[in-house]
Amino acid sequence: MGLLIKIAWRNIWRSRTRSLVVLGAISLGIWALIFLLSFSRGMVYNLIDNSIRREIGHLQLEHPDFQKQRDFRFYLEDADSLGTLMFRDPHVLAVSERVVALGMVSSAKGARGVRIWGIDPDRESGVSFIAEKVVEGDFLAPARNPILMSRRLADKLGLKMRSKAVLTFQDLEGNITAGAFRITGLFDSGTTPFDEGTVMVRREDILRLTGGDGQDIAQQIVAIIDDPDSVGVVRDHLAPLFPNASLKSYAEVAPEVALYESQIGLMNMIVITIFMLALIFGIINTMLMAVLERVRELGMLMAIGMNRRRVFLMVMLETLFLGVTAMPVGIGLVIVTLRIFEQTGIDLSIFSEGMREFGMSEVVYPDPIPSIYIQVAVAVFLTAFLGAIYPAWKAIRLKPVEALTKI
Amino acid sequence: MAVILTRDLYKTYNPDTIPVHALNGVSLSIEEGEFTAIVGPSGSGKTTLLNILGGLDSPTSGYVEVGGTDISQLSENELIDFRKNHIGFVFQSYNLIPVLTAYENVEFVMLLQGRPEKERKERTEALLAAVGLADHMDRRPSQLSGGQQQRVAVARALAPRPSFILADEPTANLDSHTSANLLDIMGKLNHEEKVTFIFSTHDSRVIERAHRVVTVEDGVIISDEGMKR
Ligand SMILES: Nc1ncnc2c1ncn2[C@@H]1O[C@H](COP(=O)(O)OP(=O)(O)OP(=O)(O)O)[C@@H](O)[C@H]1O
Ligand SMILES: [Mg+2]
Repeated sequence: MGLLIKIAWRNIWRSRTRSLVVLGAISLGIWALIFLLSFSRGMVYNLIDNSIRREIGHLQLEHPDFQKQRDFRFYLEDADSLGTLMFRDPHVLAVSERVVALGMVSSAKGARGVRIWGIDPDRESGVSFIAEKVVEGDFLAPARNPILMSRRLADKLGLKMRSKAVLTFQDLEGNITAGAFRITGLFDSGTTPFDEGTVMVRREDILRLTGGDGQDIAQQIVAIIDDPDSVGVVRDHLAPLFPNASLKSYAEVAPEVALYESQIGLMNMIVITIFMLALIFGIINTMLMAVLERVRELGMLMAIGMNRRRVFLMVMLETLFLGVTAMPVGIGLVIVTLRIFEQTGIDLSIFSEGMREFGMSEVVYPDPIPSIYIQVAVAVFLTAFLGAIYPAWKAIRLKPVEALTKI
Repeated sequence: MAVILTRDLYKTYNPDTIPVHALNGVSLSIEEGEFTAIVGPSGSGKTTLLNILGGLDSPTSGYVEVGGTDISQLSENELIDFRKNHIGFVFQSYNLIPVLTAYENVEFVMLLQGRPEKERKERTEALLAAVGLADHMDRRPSQLSGGQQQRVAVARALAPRPSFILADEPTANLDSHTSANLLDIMGKLNHEEKVTFIFSTHDSRVIERAHRVVTVEDGVIISDEGMKR
């Protein structure tokens, strides 16, 4: 065995250039594979994180019917005490009670249908990142009917800071009502649909206008927890506390998240399989070449007494050595690259207009699954193993006499 | 006792298409310790005969006994083992494993046989010294001349203590001086190690050194002479 290892290892370096090319190709393949998977995972998590920090939070408590029909009248009573109850759980870091109404914002120039959030800015800033996205003015600081909207929407409506905007919406009785608000802040969330479709006012202001003055109601209570990976556990733990409301995790609120998380394993498998297919043909080709150009030598080895098992093993070992040598190179390379990009991120601002539509940040951080290295290592090893079988079989099919007389 | 015994060997290549009758009834007996040349014109069947004696090829009909074993009865895998333990080969070229040094090449078959380390070392060093390559043990074949490579091949063939050594035109790629030198070494080892040598050749100066000359033509033995020296 030691002898075979020695011969196999030295055989690799006989055609140095070819082996280096193959090693380079495998390493590069490993690098590209892991990097790409980590990058696309980073992109998806960026999307998910943005959506969590922008609006949906980790947990959402709503009136069961509000889920189906976004009607203002399906609200939660005693919202503050429900929020406090949620906040009491040690995993819950922040809670915000929101009044959510559908309505219209109008200016002298025009009008648009929007979703109106009535929020408490202090509580909301613990849950969403909108407070950090204010580009002008402030985040609903106390004033007379302040309103916060995106700069984009303000531009469309021809509004500026301190301009007046009129909100029209249903009150608790189902009657249309309106109120005049003054713009005290402009934000830019980075997501076009959200920016164009959401305005924010103080919760007490909208309650007063809808006839719920002094009442403690909210359509939505959003919470952020410490460990998003255990959101299901926290949800199951909290749900019994709210028998009359529906508590959902972000994965349930945004089904594409759940879809992605359940499909990521399959997707990786498919991409890895495609990679393996490409790799296996490369390996078969290389090793077949290595066998065919050594026909005489293999004939000689079998003539002087090297049995088929050993010849087979020798070719297998050569192939595995190629894979095993390329593996640490490729994985080392990708670890270094990922370290760098995990720090700096990948700047996609040239595509930023398109990405805004989906709510993705301009800078994406690759996010490797820890198990990816093992997965790819196993895949490469397996591929080398499978790719070696045919050339090795070819080698042992040689008849010594014929091989020796081959020109 | 005969190391090799053949009776009525026939070999026909391509029996179904254009048959070539390479051997047409060869009966030959080789005794232990012989130093025998198989000679004959090109295409006379020398290589065919040696391949059959070495268990690399099988006759179309006839009987081959090597060291008391009827090798026509052995399977392909048993033949490989048989060759490993009983037959040493020296080919015209491509004798050595290019990635191994002279030392490792000589040691190779002994390793396959599973001989102990100490024995391998002693024998490898002794044989390389006997073929005059004690100073070249760590060289790879590509760093040796053609004659030196053939000497390593002779040492490699002898190392596993085979019953006999088959050499098909071992000097074909060597100049006459180097050929003579190789034959001298083979003759010396035949004498010292008491090992049987059977080699084929075209070269009259090589033939001169044989103790017995078997002449083949058109697949039959036309003369078989012992040379007294
Ligand atoms: N594999 C083969 N298929 C068909 N014919 C063959 C094959 N090998 C040898 N022959 C034929 O068998 C005959 C004997 O060939 P062989 O190689 O044994 O001769 P040889 O005496 O060794 O010749 P040389 O001195 O040229 O090496 C020749 O006519 C040759 O063409
Ligand atoms: Mg020949």
